[in-house]
Amino acid sequence: MPAPVAAESPAVLLRLEGVEQFYGEKIRILGPIDLEVREGEFLSLVGPSGCGKSTLLRIVAGVLRPSAGIVRMGGRPLKGVNTRAAMVFQSFALFPWLTVVDNVAVGLEARGLPLRERLKKAEKYIDLVGLSGYERAFPRELSRGMKQLVGLARALAVEPELLCMDEPFSALDVLTARTIRDLVLDLWESPEVMTKSILLVTHSIEEAVAMSDRVLVLKANPGRIADEVDLRGLPRPRRPDLPHVRETVDRMYSLLA
Amino acid sequence: MTLAVSVLLAIPTGYLAAKSAFARRLILPTLDIFQSVPIVGFFPVAVWGFVRLFGGSAFGVELAAVFLIFTSMFWNLAFGVYESLITVPEELRMAADQFGLRGSLRWSHLILPAVVPSLLYNSLVSWANGWFFLIASEIIAVGPARYTLPGLGSYLAQSVTAGHNNLTMLALAVLLATTVGMHLLLWGPLSTWAERFHLEESGDRPRRPRIARILGRSRLVRSASLRVVTPAAQQALRVSGRVLDFLGRHAAGSAAVFFGLAVPVLLGYGGWRLYLLFASRPLAAELKGIPVDLLFSFLRVGLGVLISAAVSVPLANWIVRRVRWRSAALAVIQILASIPATAFFPVVVILLTWGLGMNAGAVLLALTTMFWYVLFNVVGAASAIPKETREAAFAFGLRGPRYLRRVFLPAVLPSLVTGCITAWGAGWNALILCEYLEAGRRVHEVRGIGATLDRATYRTGDMQVVAASLASMVLLIILVNRFFWDPLYQRVAERYKMEA
Repeated sequence: MPAPVAAESPAVLLRLEGVEQFYGEKIRILGPIDLEVREGEFLSLVGPSGCGKSTLLRIVAGVLRPSAGIVRMGGRPLKGVNTRAAMVFQSFALFPWLTVVDNVAVGLEARGLPLRERLKKAEKYIDLVGLSGYERAFPRELSRGMKQLVGLARALAVEPELLCMDEPFSALDVLTARTIRDLVLDLWESPEVMTKSILLVTHSIEEAVAMSDRVLVLKANPGRIADEVDLRGLPRPRRPDLPHVRETVDRMYSLLA
Repeated sequence: MTLAVSVLLAIPTGYLAAKSAFARRLILPTLDIFQSVPIVGFFPVAVWGFVRLFGGSAFGVELAAVFLIFTSMFWNLAFGVYESLITVPEELRMAADQFGLRGSLRWSHLILPAVVPSLLYNSLVSWANGWFFLIASEIIAVGPARYTLPGLGSYLAQSVTAGHNNLTMLALAVLLATTVGMHLLLWGPLSTWAERFHLEESGDRPRRPRIARILGRSRLVRSASLRVVTPAAQQALRVSGRVLDFLGRHAAGSAAVFFGLAVPVLLGYGGWRLYLLFASRPLAAELKGIPVDLLFSFLRVGLGVLISAAVSVPLANWIVRRVRWRSAALAVIQILASIPATAFFPVVVILLTWGLGMNAGAVLLALTTMFWYVLFNVVGAASAIPKETREAAFAFGLRGPRYLRRVFLPAVLPSLVTGCITAWGAGWNALILCEYLEAGRRVHEVRGIGATLDRATYRTGDMQVVAASLASMVLLIILVNRFFWDPLYQRVAERYKMEA
């Protein structure tokens, strides 16, 4: 699906203004960074390890307070945890002592939903990621790919306006990664899922090109935005062997080098 | 009951230590010191205090026993809580933040589950320890006064003192049955339940050898587990989550103030009493003998550690290599280990009457407590040696003693040291009890700090000697820990870490 290309630029959902992160007093590891995520947009942050892209995502999710700068969510400055966003983690970060359904429902429980509703909603998202039948399983009984599906369902279940994904496919084997990647794109386009804005952090250029509307290329020491690539013109689905997809990937490799 | 109180108190302590840097600086050294102090030695002091508090009634003694059992359990538990909390993966904690787990939900979904395995494991150890102290403490005497609390411990002690070997054996059998029963009906199901709380990333984590997995197959355990223990434990988790959250919100401040006031006051009062004790009259003649006493006891504990290590390593290798026997052997060892060492005393006493020297007897007695710590740690590490490492060793022709020296020993070394440290601490406790024995109206004793302490406590009632020998013993233990065990462990842990 071509991204929702309204003639005018759509509303801004998330905006970072002059965000910086220091280690200790003096060492700047990130920023200053200005960026926007628009409504309905799939934005990726690509960069080498150590460029602070995961730190940036934690700041957006509100679990890390930046040393300087402002994070605005829907125009309002963010204080504390970003309850309008949800996160998918690289190493899944499932609660090993909770069953699949309890893991998916955990965010809903924290938001105070009654038991019946939370189960209903959890079921819906477990079904959407294709894990029906595994509700009562514990995470350790699942394969890595299935664990990440639980992580995805858990994030989508709170119906966030922004989905943050931190290297969600890098702990998976290539085939599994591709399957789940396609699933994420399907869900993004599906009317069943409310979440329309996605912020993905990855070190894989191929992944960013296959998925995003826009890619920000980050450089390290300190982490900052070096380039921006608009991919809205690139038709979907973007199979990696298509000539224009490969061309884009090659161009971005030269940007990073 | 005491165990439950210790568990409930240990959680906030460990939590505080993990959470705030200030509390950590205060709590960790305290835990460290108290963990390595032989609790048994403080029994006379505690009894003296509590009896005076309650006007000389037996209730004071009862409370003193409970208090000491509590202190013997508390340090381990609190330390375990702290350690498991700091090892919670960062991403998991972040996930809890991100999905808004706060208040009682955070306790019941993140903090409590993370500490359950360590709490359970330490409870098991503490349970055995508790019996150990119970038996030691049910019959005690302070100076001329003698207090006996009704219970299996005093029964056992009396039958030994009176020389009734048959009755002694009967009491031992009852104790053994109780231990096995507790394993079957409580610890087994609880361990099965707690399996789910292990934080692991991959499937091949080293597992602690657990009797639970063998017992888990029996029908009795499974039904006890499914019907009673698991639901009760889940409920307990939820309720304690709420309680702890409530406490955290309302009582944290006042508790801090209370401890901030109580600790200095108690320390000051203790110091003042101590000063009076030594200043009020000339020093007792026995004080001069204390350094030599200490040396003798030190040699005994050291010998115990050496023997434990020397026996444990080949034995562990033997156990681990025999796959078919492994679980059965572990089950037997675990039950044996959970029998309080004090209960073995009668057996040794019988040996003594057969002509075994008291010196050997004392070391043997101490060994019954110390040996298990070393063996368990070594077996745990040995079963964690990757199969590939073993296969590689065999493929290159490393067999027999050479395998032991080149592969096995380095692999288990960190755990061996950990086990030795624990055994060293436990050994002092045991020594206080076993350097001086009364059996069949005969007193068996050897020269040592434990004997001096016991004599001062039970016969002369000389608090000056009690205080001096306690203080010197504690000092020695702390010094050896600081300047020998800690550096040794650091070096060994760094060099021999099993990591690919």
